[in-house]
Parts: sequence; structure tokens; C-alpha cells
Amino acid sequence: MAHCLLNQNSKVGDGAHCAGVYSPVVDVLRAKGWRIEQMPCPELAFTGLNRFWAVKEQLDTPAYRQHCRRLAAGVAEMISVRAGQGEEVALIGVEGSPSMGVHITSSDPARGGRPEWPEGTAEHVSGEGIFVEELRRELDERGLSVRLGGETHALADHDEATQSQQITAALDDR
Amino acid sequence: MKPDERSFRIALVADRYVNPADGEVDGLAVAAKAGWGVMQLPAADYPAAVTAPVLATIAEELQEFSRHGYDIVQVGDCTGLATALAAAGLSAPDRMTPGTDAELLEYLRARPAPPVSTWSWLAKDQG
Repeated sequence: MAHCLLNQNSKVGDGAHCAGVYSPVVDVLRAKGWRIEQMPCPELAFTGLNRFWAVKEQLDTPAYRQHCRRLAAGVAEMISVRAGQGEEVALIGVEGSPSMGVHITSSDPARGGRPEWPEGTAEHVSGEGIFVEELRRELDERGLSVRLGGETHALADHDEATQSQQITAALDDR
Repeated sequence: MKPDERSFRIALVADRYVNPADGEVDGLAVAAKAGWGVMQLPAADYPAAVTAPVLATIAEELQEFSRHGYDIVQVGDCTGLATALAAAGLSAPDRMTPGTDAELLEYLRARPAPPVSTWSWLAKDQG
């Protein structure tokens, strides 16, 4: 599970939807009988709590990739232990995130400079965030696969019931 | 835009309280009720070689929260955490081992408000 789903304090400024634990996703996982394991927040330690909102291109530097790869290796080792015990693993990310998106990330190749841009910029595109890409690479190297689901607050059409249905479907997949 | 609702409060919670057995303290539910964020500590059944880099990452994240004045407590035990925190130049946070949900809730709610944050733009927005 993405770090911020248990700890909204890690969110970029103006991004915390609640005080701490985002219960709707926790509730779905528990109702389906899944253990919860929290991943690190790749942006938190690298760009800090006072970071600006960013799109994937702004974060996609060799140094950030290296940081994500280091964190992803730790997560992949934990997943490897669980997979070795015969457990299924699902990755619950954050749709629209430049780091944690699993189906939708954010992209705007032109964004940069003074942090002002028009409302409604169409930045959400199909694809994975940088950390998720690096985690997938680590899992591929270990011959592991996971199910994918995402929290959808950042998307314009966010609806909690739909979000729960989509995560449930991801957990029930296979 | 909806105001940022973060609490500036974080509990490092042992895995046994994040994934509680029947009848055990439910750390996630209590933290949600109290308005605290949770950083999960690795489960005790992971080998030390697996948990060491995870704990180092947790310590890195705590460095960032700590320097911004967030309140941090530890709920339950975790082998290796003190070493990881010390390596990051952090002292061990206040710690408690709850016997019941009510005990944990009372503990979290009794904590004093965290130091004034540097988040001046949030303070302005939230009046």
C-alpha cells in the first residue's frame, strides 16, 4: 500500500484528504482479508515536505530514479519473502501520482519554472509513476508479479464507491 | 480547493497493531479515530537483512518529519528501529505498548499539540 494511504502527513502541501489514515482503502483490504504492508513515500525523503506539486517529467532525473530504485529494492525483498510463503501480493498505489500511479500518472513535458499553471491542465495520462516503474523492474528481476489497484482522489472523476469497486476487483482478479 | 487536513502527528506502529489478530489492539482504527498518521514498522517474521534497509528508509522519512516539528510516537516494539534512528541522528520517540484500543486512543489524544509548523500557507488558508 502506498505510504500516504496510512499517513496523509506525507502528502504534498494541500494534498492531505484527511488527518492521517485514509480508511476507505484500508476498509476494503481488511474486508477482503488482506494483510496490510506500507511502502515508503519516495517523494518525501527526496524532495521534502515543502515540495511543490510536480508532474512526472519534473521528477524524472537520474538521481530520483536511483533513489526510487533503492527504495523499490527494499520493497521487492519484502514481497519476495511473502511470495515465497505462497502469499498473493497486491500493490495499491495512487492514481495520478508522478511516483505512485499504477494506471494513471501525471505528465506535462512543458511544465517548469515558476510554479503557476492554468486550472484544468490535462496532466493525467495512462501510465505508471516513477517508483512503480522501478518496483516493477525489481519484481521482474525476481520473477514476481503483483495485482494492481489505486486510490483515485487526484482524478477529476473520483468517486469513493467506484474506487472501492475497482480496488475490490483488483484484489479479486485471477 | 479543500484545505489540507494533515494532523502533523505520526505514530510508528508495530505490525501486530496494523494487522491485529482477533481481539488484539487495532492500531489503524484507533489512529484513524484519533487523527494520527501511521508509519508501519516491519513485521517480526522478516529476516533482519530484509528489515534493515526498510528501517533505514523509515528513519530517513522521520528525519524530514522531525525537522518540521511533527509529533512522533512509537506504538509497540520493533527490533532494529533504535539502531536505525540512531544512525540517522534521531533519538527514540516516546513509546507505549497498548493493552486496549481505549488505552491507545487516550494516549494519542492526550499528546500535546505539535510545535508550530513551518507551513505558513496552510495556516493562512485554514484561518
